[in-house]
Amino acid sequence: MGMTALTMPPLPAHDDRETVIDFQGVVARFGGLHAMGPTSLTVKRGEFLAIVGPSGCGKSTLLNMVAGTLKPSEGTVRYKGELVDRINHNVGYITQKNFCLPWRTVEANVRLPLEFRKHPKAETAARVAAALEKVGLKGFEQAYPKQLSGGMLQRVMIARTLAYSPDLYLMDEPFGSLDAQLRTRMHGELLKLWQETGATFVFVTHDLHEAITLADRVVVMSKRPGRPKLVVDIDLARPRDVIDVQSDPAFSAYFKRLWTALDVH
Amino acid sequence: MSMFAKQGGKSRTGRLPSLVPESVAAIQMGIALFALLAWETVARLFRTDFWTSSPSNVMVELWRWAASGLLTSDLQLTLTEAGLGFLIGSAVGGLIGFILGWNRLLGNLFEPFILSFYTLPKIALAPLFVLWFGIGITNKVMFSGMLVFFMVFFTTYQGTRQVDRDLVENARLLGAQPWDIWTKIALPYSAVWVFTGIRIGLPYALIGAIVGEFVAAEAGVGFRIKEATSFFNTAAVFAGLIILMVISIILLGILKFVESRALGWQSAKGSIQPETQT
Repeated sequence: MGMTALTMPPLPAHDDRETVIDFQGVVARFGGLHAMGPTSLTVKRGEFLAIVGPSGCGKSTLLNMVAGTLKPSEGTVRYKGELVDRINHNVGYITQKNFCLPWRTVEANVRLPLEFRKHPKAETAARVAAALEKVGLKGFEQAYPKQLSGGMLQRVMIARTLAYSPDLYLMDEPFGSLDAQLRTRMHGELLKLWQETGATFVFVTHDLHEAITLADRVVVMSKRPGRPKLVVDIDLARPRDVIDVQSDPAFSAYFKRLWTALDVH
Repeated sequence: MSMFAKQGGKSRTGRLPSLVPESVAAIQMGIALFALLAWETVARLFRTDFWTSSPSNVMVELWRWAASGLLTSDLQLTLTEAGLGFLIGSAVGGLIGFILGWNRLLGNLFEPFILSFYTLPKIALAPLFVLWFGIGITNKVMFSGMLVFFMVFFTTYQGTRQVDRDLVENARLLGAQPWDIWTKIALPYSAVWVFTGIRIGLPYALIGAIVGEFVAAEAGVGFRIKEATSFFNTAAVFAGLIILMVISIILLGILKFVESRALGWQSAKGSIQPETQT
């Protein structure tokens, strides 16, 4: 069944879900360097999209444009139909960098966005507790970041995002610095989270396994200037088991196809 | 009783036996006593007490100083000078270092001026301060404050400049307004550096007061040391030095206490691991 999805042009007849992100001919130039685009791409509500490509192809640039921290040199980015022209507070942005404030406990770090957003106190405590519970950090509320391992710090970052329940999660190689076993475990947890929140996820990685395991759709970017080169729907059953899915024959077929498009030398 | 702590099999830090704290203190006391004894012996045997004085003479001199009531008033004066200088220097240095460190534009603008002051031996300004502020307490407060200011300012400025700009951008994404960035990120971040600067700057408060008193004064611990030197009263000079030493040790103790309270997170130790799930 997975194989037919490969041989047939993967075009759903229609998708009436709301468009969350809409890139229209966006281009990124840094000084004289033409880094990315023109790129046109839409992401639907509740979708899990993965973007893969060689380094420097502008994968992260796309995320920055949605977050509103970078303006496109040309073209437009819309979030739920609205032009992104300032910081977009509806997104949760998670990178492999740890942005914990070292002088705050785990709990106080997770509370940070709620303090910024002036959430009422009572609701804040409940949200923080729920977020910590969800990422398996219950019992570590009073620990300081320097006492935690890389995997746990990443969980704090995820909990901090969960706490204000954004509609859109932007993830830039969030598990890039974790070892393979931990990474696989985090994949499982992330998929569970995605299913529970019903939020839209855009996940940038250069790891094809990661992309196929997680995503509904994988976009392969070309070398610089990066443009979408191939878009593949990943028609693997949901909910996915992050281990079992890798032994699915369709998985390796997707892998080969994406690998060829990635054109790694 | 063994002086060495029992080594468990779990220790990973090599084979050197570690001393138990009580023995460390005992040994340190021993070293201090030995040094005092050697000092006294040398002074008596070789009659060097004109140059080196001796612990017994110094004790007598300290007693005389205290009995005359001058020790209290000198201490009061010198500590007031150093204390006020310290407060003013730390506050102004921390504030300006913080502002110039966070504001790239201002920092870049003022950097050449800052650097040209950095290399100047500040002690050389002491005579000028007499000209500006007279020989009273104001002169010492200002001079001591100036020394502290530079130490705190440079440390805060350089430390704060190193802040990760991505951290600030991340906070903005999380919804932080400019005010939040200042109060919840910039200030706590800089606090570490202000404290580092204050720790380095604290001895300079005392140096400033003492140098100020050396240059021109009518009372104070530094003035007493200078006065004793001109009368070749070595014992009184050493008495003054011992007073200064005691003051510094007490001040550093206070600072360490305050720092451990304010920056408790820095001393959080050990790594916490989740129980491994299989």
